[in-house]
Amino acid sequence: MADSTTTVPQAVLRIERVSRIFRMGEVEVPALVEVDMTIEAGEFIAILGPSGSGKSTLLNMIGGTDRPTSGSVWHEGHDLAVADDGELTEYRREKVGFIFQFYNLVPSLTAYENVQVATELVDDPLDPKDALEMVELSDRASHFPAQLSGGEQQRVAIARALAKRPELLLADEPTGALDLTTSRSVLGILQRLNREQNLTIILITHNAAIPAIAHRVVRIVSGRIAESRINEHVLPAEEVSW
Amino acid sequence: MRVLTRKLWREIFNSAGVLATVVVIIMVGTSSFICVKSAQRILETSQEAYYRDYRFADFWVNVKKAPLSAVKRVADLPGVAAVESRVVFDVILDLPHVVEPITGRLISAPTRGFDETINGISLVRGSGFSDDRNEEVILGEGFAQEHDLHPGDRINLILNRKRESFIIAGTALSPEYVYMVRGEGDFTPDAEHFGILYVKEAYARKALDFDGACNEIVGRLVPGAQADVDLLLDRIDRMLQPFGVLSTTPRSRQASHRFLSDEIRGLGITATVMPTIFLAVAALVLNILMTRLAERQRTTMGTLKALGYSNRQVITHFLGFGVVVGIVGGLTGIGLGISMSYGLISLYADFFKFPQFLFTTYADLWIVGMIISVVFSVAGTIKGTLAVLRLTPAEAMRPKPPARGGAVFLEKYPALWRSMGFRSHIALRSLLRNPTRTLSGILSTALAGSIILSTLMMYDSMWYLVDFQFEHVLRSDATIGMRDERSRLALYETQRLPGVDYAEPTLGVVCDIRNGRNARRLAVLALEENHRLTNPCQRDLSPIAIPPQGLVLASKLANILDADVGDRLELTPVRGRRRTVQVPVASIVEGFLGLDCYADLTYLSRMVGEAAAVNSVQLSVNPVRADALFRTVKTLPNAQGFSVRANTKGNIESTFIETMGISLGMMVIFAGVIAFGSMINLSLIEITDRQRDIATFRVLGYHPSQVAAIFFRQNMIVFTLGLILSFPLGYGMVVGMAQAYDTELFRMPVVVNLPVIVWTGLLAFGFVLLAQWVVYRQIAKLDWLEAVQAKE
Repeated sequence: MADSTTTVPQAVLRIERVSRIFRMGEVEVPALVEVDMTIEAGEFIAILGPSGSGKSTLLNMIGGTDRPTSGSVWHEGHDLAVADDGELTEYRREKVGFIFQFYNLVPSLTAYENVQVATELVDDPLDPKDALEMVELSDRASHFPAQLSGGEQQRVAIARALAKRPELLLADEPTGALDLTTSRSVLGILQRLNREQNLTIILITHNAAIPAIAHRVVRIVSGRIAESRINEHVLPAEEVSW
Repeated sequence: MRVLTRKLWREIFNSAGVLATVVVIIMVGTSSFICVKSAQRILETSQEAYYRDYRFADFWVNVKKAPLSAVKRVADLPGVAAVESRVVFDVILDLPHVVEPITGRLISAPTRGFDETINGISLVRGSGFSDDRNEEVILGEGFAQEHDLHPGDRINLILNRKRESFIIAGTALSPEYVYMVRGEGDFTPDAEHFGILYVKEAYARKALDFDGACNEIVGRLVPGAQADVDLLLDRIDRMLQPFGVLSTTPRSRQASHRFLSDEIRGLGITATVMPTIFLAVAALVLNILMTRLAERQRTTMGTLKALGYSNRQVITHFLGFGVVVGIVGGLTGIGLGISMSYGLISLYADFFKFPQFLFTTYADLWIVGMIISVVFSVAGTIKGTLAVLRLTPAEAMRPKPPARGGAVFLEKYPALWRSMGFRSHIALRSLLRNPTRTLSGILSTALAGSIILSTLMMYDSMWYLVDFQFEHVLRSDATIGMRDERSRLALYETQRLPGVDYAEPTLGVVCDIRNGRNARRLAVLALEENHRLTNPCQRDLSPIAIPPQGLVLASKLANILDADVGDRLELTPVRGRRRTVQVPVASIVEGFLGLDCYADLTYLSRMVGEAAAVNSVQLSVNPVRADALFRTVKTLPNAQGFSVRANTKGNIESTFIETMGISLGMMVIFAGVIAFGSMINLSLIEITDRQRDIATFRVLGYHPSQVAAIFFRQNMIVFTLGLILSFPLGYGMVVGMAQAYDTELFRMPVVVNLPVIVWTGLLAFGFVLLAQWVVYRQIAKLDWLEAVQAKE
């Protein structure tokens, strides 16, 4: 199933000795400690770790929503660690799609409009209708988030992330608030996007069952990468269980 | 429409209730600016046009009697563009339906072209003078209206010791009497007891014995000569000295002009101060509102940034709230302001008589109004937005860390803290943990309270002033003005008039008073020894007896002359030989109207070189026989003016009850908008923030009123602190106002009475109660089941 063997791997992002320290009053809390990681095009990576392990912080480094305290995040020859706000905004706008645990939809906008929030930003987006079609939500386009189930909201969030045609799709506990059946369907969509569109996906989770659907599993403990392994037997999402 | 714009509109629509309170405050601020500033412009342009079209004089010179050849010499002086001569005389009018004698001012006017002279008059009704009859008058329009007199009616007056009957040929307005006052010392227009009568020039000269002569010269200056008008008037004064110059008045000191100009200037100050207060409060409330909105939309802001929206795009979106609130507040404020300005002008129309008010659309004011309302509104929005925007998207997307829940400083005093009970604990903790919100509440209440306090204080000041002037200083029931200066014999004659219990002579002499470089020309009022009917008073109302020597000055005059008790002033009577003498300042008294200056009757008579002379007599009247006195005065050949203290006082009181009543009502409503608007806004924010607490209390079995009581406690603390602060603030406003309106014509006393303080508290409390009622409704309406289950 893994197609990394059939194409020449090409690094989308390279993380070098990245540390992130949070200061809370007098106390310094290291969330990431000298992490090295390379993300290659078309990869589906699952980052696994207990809560507080630093996985979200790592995702923020990858997504350009935060800067490391030290180290470098290389993307197309630029170090995001030293990029200014404008450059980071540009990076997030053009390259990254985000999916959040609690969906982060704008409550006052319909599903369609929530997708538009993303499509209005870029030059060549998908039609919001098509994006909703891809997550099988065309019939709910005019509903407000409050009128959608959790799974539907997360699918809107996926459509919103997809619509920009990002290089990288980052999913932060995308099924954290969903039941098993809904989770399977959401994960299935991600897996399909990765397979059919060769979209690079990084998913973080504390659920040990989920990484089974990824090509590579990175386990993170106390801000350090404890293990990075290739998943030889990628499981179809509908077979995941917990 | 861009999707974020759609989001903006929906969210504005959803929080319309809370935003409406801010919009209303902005609307009131903007409307007060538009209203007052438009009224100021309308008055100003009406004044300019009227003065220009009817050639309002640049100076007046009153003489005893000057030949027309002398007038010609004045016309030839450099700087003088044109002069005209007139005969002006105060007379007693006898209106059949009015028991009291009324003072009228006779002014000579040409038979034809009276609208083309200096101080031209504009006919309102009637056809003007005819060619065949001499006994015709054109009556001041205000006076005619007040007494229901019409062209064709007859009016009687005592002219040159004879009773004459005149036909009213028309009614008219004059730029000299836009504000209908006799002169300095009057401060409310009194069209009922003072009328202007224009008579044919040829007739006036003949009847009043002024053939080839005049007693008033009015003149216009060439452009640019205004700056040197005082020098010019000095020159005219010296030139006409042989003819007995009584007074020279530049336009800047003409009574009607000064009242009008002072009002226009005062409006300018109001147009700055009032909107600033309202818009500042609006910005304050909006700041709280937007800080909270931004915090609530923290995740959305973070998400937008994570999606790739730039800081500029996000901030533009959020500032949109401020812009919309500002535009809506601005537009409604401009609309309201325009209609209010018509109301204000119609109020002014009772006081200031113009042939027409020039209403124009002041597009520039609307633009300025809109700009300031948007600027204040955006200023109120910016802080909250920036605070969230400073976070990185990752931080912003994390929910806000739980509110600080630590102990507040009061908890360091356990005995005190424990004595208060948990409801007070909730209220106090909430107040102390949200200091900006609490301070905004206190400040808004303080501003509202101070507006009420200062308005009530000014209302009281006026009553105090009227009481001071007409109960303590002036104690005569009526005053008769004499045509000429007379000997004491006139006093004895007057004493014998029916209904007169007691009479006291006074002598008014126009003098130049100088102290070094400071000088004023004014009428010194001389009182008899043991005077009872005019009692100059000090601020504590204790009367001052006029000493046998020296002058008693009103404090304002002492300030102008920079003189103190014991200083020696140069006093030159503007008559006779004009001998300058040194006189000491004997004491300084309080006085709120004009520039009072008193002296002993014998002392002043001696200085003008005459035995004790009299030119007016003050009377104490037996009320039962007052009508008999009035009837007799109407026949007195030597009487030139008559005034009844109760009328003057009544006129001032009714004028103030009317205008101050309106402004009092307006100010209380405005203050209410601030107090109610800000309190309700802060409460609604508090309710939204504490929905879960409220829901929990409701689940526990608390009644909505019991939950509302916690909020009430909290609001009462804010209210009490704000109210306390409002007292010094309001007092300061009145002191500032008193300084702004401190003119030679009028000063406002600053008085503090307990009822005013109590009323301020009660009114402000009323608005808080009203806000509390809305709070109660909101709490009762809250879907607490949903709130208690809602995810944080």
